[in-house]
Amino acid sequence: MNKMKLKLDKLINEGVENLSVEERRGFLKMGLVVTGVFAGGSLLSVTSNVDKAFASANQFAEKYPYKPHYSMIMHIDRCIDCELCKAACAETNKVPNYGFRTQILERPIPDGIDQKREFLPVLCNHCNVAQCTRVCPTKATYKNQQNGIVMMDTSKCIGCLSCQLACPYNARYFNEEKWAVDKCNFCFDTRLSKGEKLTACSDACPAGVRVFGDLSNQRDRVYKEVHTVSRTVWVLRPEAGTKPNVFYTRG
Amino acid sequence: MASSSRISGMTLNALESALVGRLKTGSNAYYLSLSICAMLLFAGSVAGLQATIGGHHVFYGVTRQVSWGVLISTYIFFVVTSTGLCLVSSIGHIFGSKTFLPIAKRACFLSICTLLAGFFVIAAEIKVPIRMMVYNIISPNLTSNIWWMGTLYGVALGLMIVEFICLQINAHKVAIVAGFITVIAEIAANSNLAGVFGLLNGREFWHGPYLPIFFITSAVMVGSAALIFFCILAQKINGGEMAPEMKTCLSACRKVAILMICVILFFTIWRTVSTLAGMPNGQYVGVMAMLTGDYALSFWGGEILMTLIAPLVLFILSGGKRMRMMLVASALMVFGAFFMRYNMVIVGQVIPVYHDLGVTGSTELLKYFPTLNEIVVVLGGFGLVGFLFLQGEKIFNGHKVEEH
Amino acid sequence: MKRITLLIITALAAMLAFSAGLVAASDDGYPDYDIIYTEPVVGVVFSHTFHVEEAGMDCDSCHDGVFEMEAQAAQAQPDYNMLALSEGRYCGVCHDGDTAFDSNSRCASCHIGVIGYNRANGIEEAAHGGH
Repeated sequence: MNKMKLKLDKLINEGVENLSVEERRGFLKMGLVVTGVFAGGSLLSVTSNVDKAFASANQFAEKYPYKPHYSMIMHIDRCIDCELCKAACAETNKVPNYGFRTQILERPIPDGIDQKREFLPVLCNHCNVAQCTRVCPTKATYKNQQNGIVMMDTSKCIGCLSCQLACPYNARYFNEEKWAVDKCNFCFDTRLSKGEKLTACSDACPAGVRVFGDLSNQRDRVYKEVHTVSRTVWVLRPEAGTKPNVFYTRG
Repeated sequence: MASSSRISGMTLNALESALVGRLKTGSNAYYLSLSICAMLLFAGSVAGLQATIGGHHVFYGVTRQVSWGVLISTYIFFVVTSTGLCLVSSIGHIFGSKTFLPIAKRACFLSICTLLAGFFVIAAEIKVPIRMMVYNIISPNLTSNIWWMGTLYGVALGLMIVEFICLQINAHKVAIVAGFITVIAEIAANSNLAGVFGLLNGREFWHGPYLPIFFITSAVMVGSAALIFFCILAQKINGGEMAPEMKTCLSACRKVAILMICVILFFTIWRTVSTLAGMPNGQYVGVMAMLTGDYALSFWGGEILMTLIAPLVLFILSGGKRMRMMLVASALMVFGAFFMRYNMVIVGQVIPVYHDLGVTGSTELLKYFPTLNEIVVVLGGFGLVGFLFLQGEKIFNGHKVEEH
Repeated sequence: MKRITLLIITALAAMLAFSAGLVAASDDGYPDYDIIYTEPVVGVVFSHTFHVEEAGMDCDSCHDGVFEMEAQAAQAQPDYNMLALSEGRYCGVCHDGDTAFDSNSRCASCHIGVIGYNRANGIEEAAHGGH
């Protein structure tokens, strides 16, 4: 023990000037991680980690679990909280005024230089590993096997609300008129199944925040943006491990 | 006519007159307690019905993010107590420890009562109970903890009724088989109940293997205290001297309770310390809410002092002989455990899901407080247990156990 | 907390001023509360205080050439939108990326949204946190 201590004492401080380029780059990367936290939610660095958002790396590279694999990418720097999306959603899907299927969150940034706040649109993330569908005792909420949309069969909902607790995104509420939990289904019944290409929210957005598309289509804008290496893309609450299909980016 | 329908060698008429005779032997205090319990049960039923018909959003204090309120925590309180009663009684009549035999019948009966009270409370909490009865059977989801929990508790209830009937008609072999399966069902149901919370990845306050271990341990702790509580009360109702076998049994229950209190204290300390040391996201704010925040009274007063420390001290001081002291200790624990469940259920939800994002409205904890309707339903659950317990003591003649 | 209180006070002052049909003015003659536009989208903030005290502008920098004296008069115009701004009208006279930051950037520095508008007017959103 003593010998060890002596040796440590005799060590010379190497100083930062002796660091190799690789080591310096390592520090820079750590800096990026910190920035990611600052940016609201952990970074999902596309180059190395995007496969974490999917069931497996293979599925990501070649085959998606669903066809079409509906997805949304939010350009949050464009969001102005005009809430036209929310109004369009409520009108299209008959959402009562005490509930919401989508919501805009405000993140105050008092020490921001260019602006002091940022808006985050949130909705059901239609997770690949959805916890709501796992916990539902009667399969009233389930993942559509074709398109991956998390749907509700209102006639089976017993109103235990365990899906509301299981959801890490606060995407569900109990609809008193339907006597069932209600949630976003990417407007499947009200628009997509009738031939519309966009959800009501994405159609109503005046600023191009909500880009809706098919992640399994390489020509789709969502696919391209999620797979652009130089673009920073992240998901909300990645630690919940639900592999969400709603992505966030800036620019 | 009468001679053709015989039960245990008695005609129905004789059975009826015997039961009426037993029910007439109560003191004034007994009838007063019985009517209070009946009124609570009635009031609880009305409050629950009113909310189910008129809408939970009108009559209950639950919200979008705090969607499970005091009714869920009360449900947990009752069914975990039921598991505890079942497990403690199984030591005697399933696993053959003679010391625990005198409580077998009463424990089985009380386990049924508390489980029924749990179902009573949850019926008022489930928004569409009619659909539950249909789709739990025709559309089961086998990955759902809540499905397993409900189904297993249902099975356990049925089996315990079989077990109890068998104990009454001295069909001990069937009773033991039914009892053994009940123990397995109760343990599985109890851990699935914990899994309802513990398997939620997005709720850090609950997530992990801690809750299932905590639930089963606290079940045995509360179960042994509940037995002491009800046995001493029964003694007061039925009068007379307590049998020496019963005294030995309660003393043994007290030892189980002391051991389990120590284990739970150990869990609680390490859970708190690990959270304070690492400050894990989501968990830390919850634990701090209990240590110094809105839930400090409920945590320090209800969970630590009432449920753990005070009963521990009193149980040790009683030496297993001072019945009054043991009654106080067990009463403190049984009612304190109510707050233990409340803290666990509510604090896990008042941490907003977007807490770590630092968005407006999510940086502070959410608010929840039970409404009058919720409180009355909870009291109705207690009324149900009290009513059945009081009736049971008379109808089943003090749950006397013969040697076998 | 202080900021919220301040905002609420500002909002109350603003409401008082509007209801009386008056325009509250500071000693230098400009309104000391935030003007919040509601058209074409809800919640775009303009602060006289900032533009005069921090940016050092005079009244005639904008009035009456770019904006009328009457608060929020501009939003009655059909062309009061981001396109006009990018073409160098209204705020876009200065916010061109040269004199001041480009109106096509830093969206949420002016857009306080429905959330900001409700907060300034003391409106509790029905669905917020509840139910």
